[in-house]
Formats: sequence, C-alpha cells, structure tokens
Amino acid sequence: MRRLAWLAAAVVFYSIAAWSVAPGFYDGFGPPQPYNFTCPPPQAGANTKPSSAHLDIKIINGVSDANSAFTDDGQIVIGFLPGAFDVTGKTGISVDITPLDTCPKPPGIEFVTNVYRVTADAPLVKESGLTVRYSNLLPDPAAVYQASDPSGPWTSLGRSDQAQPYTVNTRITKLGYFAAGYPSTSPAPDAIKVGGGQTLPIVVAVLIVVVVLAGLPLAIVRRRRGSATAEDEEED
Amino acid sequence: MVLSVVSKRPLARGLALGGYVLAVEWARAVVMRAPGTLFPALILGGAALVIAAWGWSPERLGLGRKRLALRVLGGFALGAVLLLPAAVRSGAAPLLPAGLALAAVAISIGEEVAFRGALYAALDDAGGAPLAIGGTTVLWTLAHALSHPPEFLGAVFAAGLLLALWRWACQDLVGPIIGHVIADLAL
Repeated sequence: MRRLAWLAAAVVFYSIAAWSVAPGFYDGFGPPQPYNFTCPPPQAGANTKPSSAHLDIKIINGVSDANSAFTDDGQIVIGFLPGAFDVTGKTGISVDITPLDTCPKPPGIEFVTNVYRVTADAPLVKESGLTVRYSNLLPDPAAVYQASDPSGPWTSLGRSDQAQPYTVNTRITKLGYFAAGYPSTSPAPDAIKVGGGQTLPIVVAVLIVVVVLAGLPLAIVRRRRGSATAEDEEED
Repeated sequence: MVLSVVSKRPLARGLALGGYVLAVEWARAVVMRAPGTLFPALILGGAALVIAAWGWSPERLGLGRKRLALRVLGGFALGAVLLLPAAVRSGAAPLLPAGLALAAVAISIGEEVAFRGALYAALDDAGGAPLAIGGTTVLWTLAHALSHPPEFLGAVFAAGLLLALWRWACQDLVGPIIGHVIADLAL
C-alpha cells in the first residue's frame, strides 16, 4: 500500500508539473525553446511576447559590412553579405525587425509564425539569407511568404531543404513583411504525422479503455489463482 | 585497474554509468542541433544508451517475464498518465513527423534501459531504493538540460520521478518502456 501511495503522489505531482508547461517536452523533438506567439494557439500555454531587433551595419570602404540581424528570441535571423545595401550617401545602415501586433489571415495561406516587419534605411541590392523559426505546436510551414503590406498580396519565397529542426531558410532580395506558412487550400505539408493534434484525446481514451477492459479480467484471474493456491496450502 | 575498481565497488559503478549516460545524452543533444542530424542522433543515441545495460541480467534490469501481461497493461496506464495533461488541456498537441517515429521508439527504449534499467540497478546496489529513485531522477533531468528549455525541466523531473517510482514499486521496466514509447510517439 505504501508503494501505491507513493505512485499516486507521483502521478499527481507529474500532472501538476506537466500542466504548467506546453505539451511536448519529452525527448527533444520540439524546438530548443518555446515559440513566442503574437496570437498564441490554445495549446501554447504560458506565452511570452515576441521580441524585436535593431542592427547598425557599418560601411567600410564604401561597402556595407557583413552582419546579421536577429531578434533576442532568435525567431527570425537575416544574414547580410558585404555590399548587401546600396550605401549611396550613407555613413551607416540601420536595420529594424518588429513583430506585427496583429495576425493577418490572407486568403489561401495559413501562417504558422508571427508576421515580422523588416526595414532598413537603405535599399537591399544583394540577396540575403532569411531564417525563420517555427513552433512544434503547429504544422510545418511549406514556405516563407513576403509582402510589402500586411494586407497583402503575399508571395511565396519557397524554402530551402537544408535547415535546422523547426526552422525554414530562404533567400530574399527586398525587405518587407515576412511569415512562414502553408497554402490553406491544400493539406498541411508533412501531413503524415503520428500522434499529437486532435488525435491525442482519442489515444488517451483508447489506452484507458484497454487498461480497464484488460485489467479487470487479469485481476480476476490473478485473484482466483491466489485463492486456489491458498486453498491448496490449507488442504496440505 | 579502473575497470576492476568500477566492477567491484557499487558506488563507483553507479557513478561511471551515470557519467556515461549523461555523456551520451548531452552529446546527442549537441549533435541534434546540426542540420540533418536529428534522426541519426536519436537512433545512435538510443543504441548507445542500451549499451549501458551490458552485463546486467534481464531480471536485474526489471525485464523478467513474470506477470508480463500485467506489466504491459501497466505500461499502457503509464502512457495514459503521461499524455493526460496534454490531452485535457485543449485536445491539441505537438505533431511528431512520421519519419521520426522510429527514432522516437529507439530513444525511448534506450533511455528507459539506461536510466530505469542499468543505472537504477547500479544505484540500488550502492545505496538502496532511495538512492536509485533520487539518483536516476536527478540524472534524467540533467540529461535533458541541453535538449529542453529550462521551464520544461520541472515536468521532465516529475516524469522521471514517476517512472522511477514505478520501477521501484512494481520492480518492472516493461511498463516504463511502453509508457515512454507511447508518450514520445503521441507527443
């Protein structure tokens, strides 16, 4: 009984601890840190506001220096090569990344990340690399989308194959608004998934039913065997 | 010489096993950060963890065949307990890409065999059940420190404690393996 009591206490302790964080903490399949949503989905749990970024790029010998702009939470990173900006009349380039306060829902696209506004006080003249991190709570994005205005139109920039888990990479030729997502007219990419999503309550319900249905006969058989053994011992 | 000391002294054996398991888990977490390494890191990490059980009999690891049906059922119950908070929360949870299912199974089995199997047995020899339960839970939490955000470590600790208490209360590793596999596949 003492062992059962310890187990029951551990179940309660675990339930409270697991309830206090977003689901998906088991073996590191999730991103290295929870995604900071502008509009968190219900399953996100406690949410922190996404952060902004500011970068001053030096101009060396008439060429803008190589540098990277990234938000403190690492949810968006832009890598600029040397000479990425037109520096005519400039002594430095100022780059700002700001998460949009709203969550646009353009027709035909389902965004799975925040929308970020990326601005600079000089035009981009060389292709730059953009990396967007996404959450494991939502489907994988098929592409990074870009617009010059949050109301659209949004253009797909695609995504490169090589990226760290839960990030998408692409190349950009101009600044503006960026978000990762997938066409909502088609199923979410990588749609073949195991577990998660809306199937989780069903999985848990099936497990409980199996435990109850198989557990009762097993318990009865064990009890009968126990009493039979006790009777045999008495006869002896 | 070192091997001789480690094999004869239970505490030294427990510490050596703990160090090995931590090294494997941390190496896996670091390697997984590089692009394209998630699947091989999980498979190889799981295999490297299973090696920790080398030299232990199945009974000492909690893998005997006695009451197998009950223990399998216990694994389903553990799986339900591990998933319940996420299921109740909103009915939605993270999605595990199908390609990672095999990797999830491999790492779940590897972790259970290493932590609640070999490490538990070694620490049990060294200091009894309290050291085995406490030691495996602390090392399990430390092992996940590099792969999980700090705010998740409380839940990781609680899951480790639950699985270790099961191992102690039921003298069983089959349940934790099944529960862990189900939880990793479903989340």
